[in-house]
Amino acid sequence: MDYLATKYLRPRKIPSTACSGCGLGQAHKKVVKAIDELGLDIGDVIWGTGIGCAGRQTFNTWKGDNFAGTHGRAYAIATGLRMALPPDKKIIMTVGDGDAFGIGFLHLLNCARRNVGMTVIVLDNLGYQSTGGQYGWTTPQGYRTDSSPYGNREPNWTQEGRDVLNILREAGATFLARYTSLQGQEAVEAIKKAIMNNGFSLVHMPYPCVTNFAERALGTRKPVEIYKWFEEHTCSLHEKGPEDFAFRTGIYYDASNSRPEFSNYMRTWVAEIQRRYS
Amino acid sequence: MRRTLDTGNAAITEGAIIAGCRLFAGYPITPATEIAENMSRRLPQVGGYYVQAEDEMTALHICIGGSLGGLKTMTATSGPGFILYADPMGWALGSEIPLVVVNAQRVGPVSGITGAPGQGEFYMSRYPTQGGNYETIVLAPNSVQEAFSITVEAFYLAERFRMPVIILADQLVTDGWESLSIPETPEEVEAMGLKVVPRRINKGPEFYPATDEIDIPPVVLGHNTGAACSDWTPTPEGYDTEEVDFQHKHAYRLIYKVRNHKDLITRYESYFVDDNPELILVAYGSPSRVVISAVKQAREKGMKVGALRLISLWPFPDEIFKVQAKYLSVELNYDGQLVREVQRAMPKGSEVHFFGKCGELPTVAELEEMMQALLAGKEIKARKWEWEAW
Repeated sequence: MDYLATKYLRPRKIPSTACSGCGLGQAHKKVVKAIDELGLDIGDVIWGTGIGCAGRQTFNTWKGDNFAGTHGRAYAIATGLRMALPPDKKIIMTVGDGDAFGIGFLHLLNCARRNVGMTVIVLDNLGYQSTGGQYGWTTPQGYRTDSSPYGNREPNWTQEGRDVLNILREAGATFLARYTSLQGQEAVEAIKKAIMNNGFSLVHMPYPCVTNFAERALGTRKPVEIYKWFEEHTCSLHEKGPEDFAFRTGIYYDASNSRPEFSNYMRTWVAEIQRRYS
Repeated sequence: MRRTLDTGNAAITEGAIIAGCRLFAGYPITPATEIAENMSRRLPQVGGYYVQAEDEMTALHICIGGSLGGLKTMTATSGPGFILYADPMGWALGSEIPLVVVNAQRVGPVSGITGAPGQGEFYMSRYPTQGGNYETIVLAPNSVQEAFSITVEAFYLAERFRMPVIILADQLVTDGWESLSIPETPEEVEAMGLKVVPRRINKGPEFYPATDEIDIPPVVLGHNTGAACSDWTPTPEGYDTEEVDFQHKHAYRLIYKVRNHKDLITRYESYFVDDNPELILVAYGSPSRVVISAVKQAREKGMKVGALRLISLWPFPDEIFKVQAKYLSVELNYDGQLVREVQRAMPKGSEVHFFGKCGELPTVAELEEMMQALLAGKEIKARKWEWEAW
């Protein structure tokens, strides 16, 4: 990460305070790498985050302008920000799974519906890990966590033929993809496409949590065990994958630049009203 | 100058536009819906944006985002929506985001009656969010014309103090129709005593100076200044921190930037308080109009009474309660929210009494009866839920 870190990240935030063995660094690097490969400058990107592991570890790491919302609210803030910013500025957000698919899901759906220009990278560690490891909306059913000591009774957003990306597609998102942090350049390419879409893009990126998820669900804090578990449970979007649970990865939907971006549309429309009434 | 007959909701809309508001996000709720409707019609005409949010929480967050991007923003609601602002209000107060929040109070609790006035969010306007360690600025108009000027002033104070400013109106002010003068040129704005501060940009590096200074430009993203804004306790540069020392400095600033510049905020009107009246009526918002009429009439009848009309509610103007007297707090609620503040601010040896109405104004006759009883030292009739001696 050295070259990218020196170029794009604040020295004060490196090294991060993430637990050792955490997959967040891999995921974070993919986002920065995508930005670099697109040739974007620090001034081109406004970086947004939420609360939790993803929020705390990625807030104010970007050398340029930053913001962090309360849990789940970053998308609502970004909607207002999008209206005020020049259209060429990119809003890139690194948020957690609870933030995006739990407490902030209503805001996320409405951003997709409006096609607000932002790239949301959901850094998913399969539950609420910064609060000590409770189950969340991506924790697979049956898995043990601190708040599901007998195994999680709730079905999650990506099991039993259900996929949270379907809901976002129906809501109007124009770019959707899923890659785990363990995957390589293909994930970076997907993030690049997401950033280049002038509209609402989301990349779901599950990453391993060694300290809490692995400890409760797999009974070990050995990083290798959770990494192995991730590999075993990763398949392509078109495959069926393992019986109990799978990260089905790939570019799920690419309708980049097919719908008008919200703030652009509003600008044009307001100019038209002004012309009509001046 | 354009003279018209219109509602408080229209006055607030026009005031906001003159103050430079160019983004309004809201969620329809009676009796504040017309502000949203008016904004949706007027803002595009002046190059601004109206966004109807999926809930009130989103509405205020969109305003925060707009303000962070450099636009002047406003939202408007009523009690059931105001409580949903609790989450984003903390963000705006903590991160020092200038914007304006209107609350057209209706009678409660909870949803209550949509089309009847109330004054139930007096304390909630002082403590609208989590965590404590902040002060609020709250202004309360009592007429359509004043709703206009207070909106312009709210934007002015929001900009100078770098924080959300709350307009605590009530249904009679927002729905009421009265004559309204709208200035059309900067000279006319100035002649009305109104000031407009343009939006400024903080170039850093210090985003959270640990002082009580005001007039520090707010954080605006998108200018590549490396600005950082979050809801966590910040270091002076905006990094999130767990160190208590920084928290102290942050809290000091949020509290004392307001308290130490209170003179720029405090506004009130006083009637017949210079000759040490025995009884002083206290009110804000629409009931203050009945109070002023009743006190003027009582004076003509030789009763030694006065009145204080609060225009700025928070920071609470303790210093205007100078006279040792019996105080009577007249409010549109039955729990007497203003009473405790008057009790705290009044000089030793004073008394405070309460007259509450819910969903409708008191009448001059009712107030006169109350004044006579208090002046005569008589026991008040046992309508406990309305009249109570404290």
